Amino acid sequence: MDHSQQTSYLKPELLQKLDDLELVAREVVEGLRVGSHRSPLRGFSTEFAHHRQYVPGDAIKNIDWRVFGRTERYFTKLYEAETNYDCYLLMDGSASMTYGSNKVSKLEYAKFLAASLAYIALKQRDSVGLSIFDSAVRAHLPPRSSMSVILQIDRLLKQISSEPKNTIAKQLRDTAMMIKRRSFVVVISDFLTNIDDVLLGLDNLRFSGHNVVVLHTLDPYELEFPFKGAWQFDGLENETQLTTQPERIREDYLTNLNTYLDAFSEGCAGAGIDYTLIDTSRPLDTVLSEFFHERESMSLGQAGGARV
Amino acid sequence: MNFLNPLLLLGVLGLSLPILAHLLNRHQVQRTDWAAMQFLNRSVRVRSRQLRLRDLLLLLMRCLALLLLVLALAKPFGGSDGNALAAMGENRAGVVIAIDASCSMQHSDGKETRFERALAKADVIARSIRPGDPVSVVLLGSEHRVITRNTMFDPAAFSELLSGQVATAESLDLDSVPRFLGNLTAELAVPQREIYIISDMGEQAWQSRYDFLKTSFRDLAAGASVMMVPIDGGTENLGVTSLELISGVLRKDTTARYRATIRNYGEQEVKNVRVSGLMNDINVDSKMIPSIAPGASESVSLFIPFRDPGAVRIAASIEADSLVADNTRRAVAVIRDKVSVLCVDGDAAGAASSQLIAAALQAHRGISGDEDLAVQSVSWTELPAQDLDGFDLVVLADVPDITVEQAQVFENYVRKGRGLIWFGGERIKANVWNERSQRGDGASLLPAVIEEAVETTDSMGVGRPLDPSLTHHPACRSLGALPEDLLSEARFHKVLQVKPAPTSTRVLTLAGSDTPVLLTHSLGRGQVFMFTTSAGAVWNNMAVTPIFPLLLQQMVTYLTAREYETPQTVGDSLTLTYTDQPGTNDAVFESPSGELISVPVSEYRNRYVAMLNNAREAGFYQARVNPQAPGTPIAVNVDTNESAVKGLSSDVTTQILAGTNVRVASTDDGLLEAIQEGRTVRSLWPLFMMAGIVFLVGEGLFAGFLSRRRSI
Repeated sequence: MDHSQQTSYLKPELLQKLDDLELVAREVVEGLRVGSHRSPLRGFSTEFAHHRQYVPGDAIKNIDWRVFGRTERYFTKLYEAETNYDCYLLMDGSASMTYGSNKVSKLEYAKFLAASLAYIALKQRDSVGLSIFDSAVRAHLPPRSSMSVILQIDRLLKQISSEPKNTIAKQLRDTAMMIKRRSFVVVISDFLTNIDDVLLGLDNLRFSGHNVVVLHTLDPYELEFPFKGAWQFDGLENETQLTTQPERIREDYLTNLNTYLDAFSEGCAGAGIDYTLIDTSRPLDTVLSEFFHERESMSLGQAGGARV
Repeated sequence: MNFLNPLLLLGVLGLSLPILAHLLNRHQVQRTDWAAMQFLNRSVRVRSRQLRLRDLLLLLMRCLALLLLVLALAKPFGGSDGNALAAMGENRAGVVIAIDASCSMQHSDGKETRFERALAKADVIARSIRPGDPVSVVLLGSEHRVITRNTMFDPAAFSELLSGQVATAESLDLDSVPRFLGNLTAELAVPQREIYIISDMGEQAWQSRYDFLKTSFRDLAAGASVMMVPIDGGTENLGVTSLELISGVLRKDTTARYRATIRNYGEQEVKNVRVSGLMNDINVDSKMIPSIAPGASESVSLFIPFRDPGAVRIAASIEADSLVADNTRRAVAVIRDKVSVLCVDGDAAGAASSQLIAAALQAHRGISGDEDLAVQSVSWTELPAQDLDGFDLVVLADVPDITVEQAQVFENYVRKGRGLIWFGGERIKANVWNERSQRGDGASLLPAVIEEAVETTDSMGVGRPLDPSLTHHPACRSLGALPEDLLSEARFHKVLQVKPAPTSTRVLTLAGSDTPVLLTHSLGRGQVFMFTTSAGAVWNNMAVTPIFPLLLQQMVTYLTAREYETPQTVGDSLTLTYTDQPGTNDAVFESPSGELISVPVSEYRNRYVAMLNNAREAGFYQARVNPQAPGTPIAVNVDTNESAVKGLSSDVTTQILAGTNVRVASTDDGLLEAIQEGRTVRSLWPLFMMAGIVFLVGEGLFAGFLSRRRSI
């Protein structure tokens, strides 16, 4: 389904004017008609979905013995996800997230994104937890199923001072230790630090048994580097400033960026982490729609594979 | 290092443009916070620094290229004995070649003329000139002709240019040569300027100007390297130096005596020189001079008969020698059918003076017996009734006075080209003449202010004779042939004391004093002769001596002659005067070689005149009021100074020019050697220009290379 044809785009600048995060989330999510989707957060529900042939490694408890009695063949039961799971939103509130070539910074975009995801989860009667970090974990809210979580996002973000972060692994590890049960963890960050450190942090989450989704938010200027003339770049995370003619080093920059993005996406794929790159200039509903659509496709693909 | 165009060094200020642009770019840096600094990592920073360095390098190359180009345009130069940079410069020079093309350069040694040898020397000089160097070539004469001016040297074009040149019949205006060459040289925008003067260096012309020429050439050598290239040649030459009318009335059916003078300019005696008299190119008389000593002149009389009225071309010619141009001397005579003279006598009754005048004028009669000179005598009282237009000449003899109107009529009469002869006498009222012949603007009908009559007799009561040292005035030319005792037969007892006007000329004076007897002055196109004595026998006995008819007839011939009868010299201006406003705007002069030269007619002092400046050829020009009209011949002769063909030797020239920095080179090898020695200044602009272009191209290629490298 092509939502772009039916959805009136909610541009980040427009959402910024709403000044009510819950309203923002509702606007975004209602526009998605999320109810028409199969829940993409599948794995721990008891609602039966369908069978697939048993393969070594499947849990014995999920073997449908009745079917075995009728057919003498092993089938594993697959379940639709239920909505009452724990969803943790891990938000990067560091200084680098404050950059925005347009009116909306990456941090604000991430806020809208987190609010929208929280809204979806809460609408499905799931619990939503929140953790905000920069150079350290600045705030942590255990999961709850109240819409007040959305308001907490706004409040907590206003409380932190967006310090520079040199690493991210430690913060993610600390967060992982705070999450008591296996959860659905959504990490929203620009991940502008060492790629090995990033992957190490994500691995910590993944090794803790969480289902990890990475929403990599980058500004369009960071993606395209379209500067003309002479520019002085002042690092937001205490890096040494650089004065240069950007158009002459653009190719080098993009090469570095793409190398990083390739390494990141490959690292995520290798670790079983869903990776999505988000351009903060794009309408939020479009981004979410594509995100859910992709996850739905992935889950259908996995289900199809189970039937074989 | 010096610069030919130092002001162009201000162009160095242009260097500020790229530097300013560079600095402006640096100052227009925009700032932004930036999160993704990790992608502007070390390699990007290094690259950025490299780019800055390359930018600086490109800027440096650009500035250097600009600097070099500006320096090149300022035309730097330096001595070859200076630094290494100057030694790398090119040995270039701007050259002025001055070739003497005067008449003496036509002198031939039997194989080739001096001018041809001068062209060969110019070819030798051309071998040392690099293509592209500025070159001027001038032919020296009475009016110097620049045949190529400050043009880029091209050997083929130069050779072709010289091959078409010939020596002229002009004289050499040596005095103007240094200044002219100085001006010509100043036009050459080169560090080293060279002047080569190729000339036969006529001894006669140089000897009279040593000091002036030495000073002038020293000044010339201060701004350029000057080299004299003498052209050697023989010294032998005969030239016809003059052809003068000695006697004769230039009327139909008469014979005039002309005197031709031939001078031996050589160092050896010349024998059996035949002189031919030509009238309209027909040999009418021939004389042989047995011998002419070296440096001497001999004259012969040539009798030229006139059969028909009109202008005739008269020439005296000798056989061809080493210099042909001066072998012929030319003159023009206008033969009249009849001359009418009005003689006005102050004696109302006797008219004694007019009778003597008429007798003197009519002493010669034509062969046919017809009166070819008609004299009408009238009393001065009848003067107001006379129409002067019918007379070629008016004689006023002892006329007491005239009215203001009559004075004006006479003045207009003379200004039209007619003649007036005035005699004094007892009846003259000096005050009246002085007052009424004087005009408001200071001009006067008579050439002197009349004062009082004075006795000129000595204590014995004998009148004073004429001064035997006659002037060169054409009117008294015939008197020169008279023996001195015959000349002294004329005695003057009384003359009018006069105060000559500044414009007047004394033709005859009394012996032992400067008391003038005959004065003349020009008035418009005509002449007025004034005798301070009487025409009759009261104050002198001139009328009964042979002097009187000879003098009067010569004066009539002179006064009735036309201005174009006076021979001109090559380089002079030729004029054609109209009596009335012409119907065409242009007159035509046909040169002896047949070239038609159109000359505009202009109004000058109520006269219409066509003037041809600088007659370049010797011979007979034909002046025509329009192309179809019959021509009036004008004789043009070469300057006799050019006949003295002996030139200064190289040694003498070197001595004369010692201390002037002017070098002398006679042989081809010596000339080339001297050129190489003298060419010490190196032109550096090609070096700078080349370096500038190299840097400019290098900067472009480097920038292109960097651009391509980034795009790969």
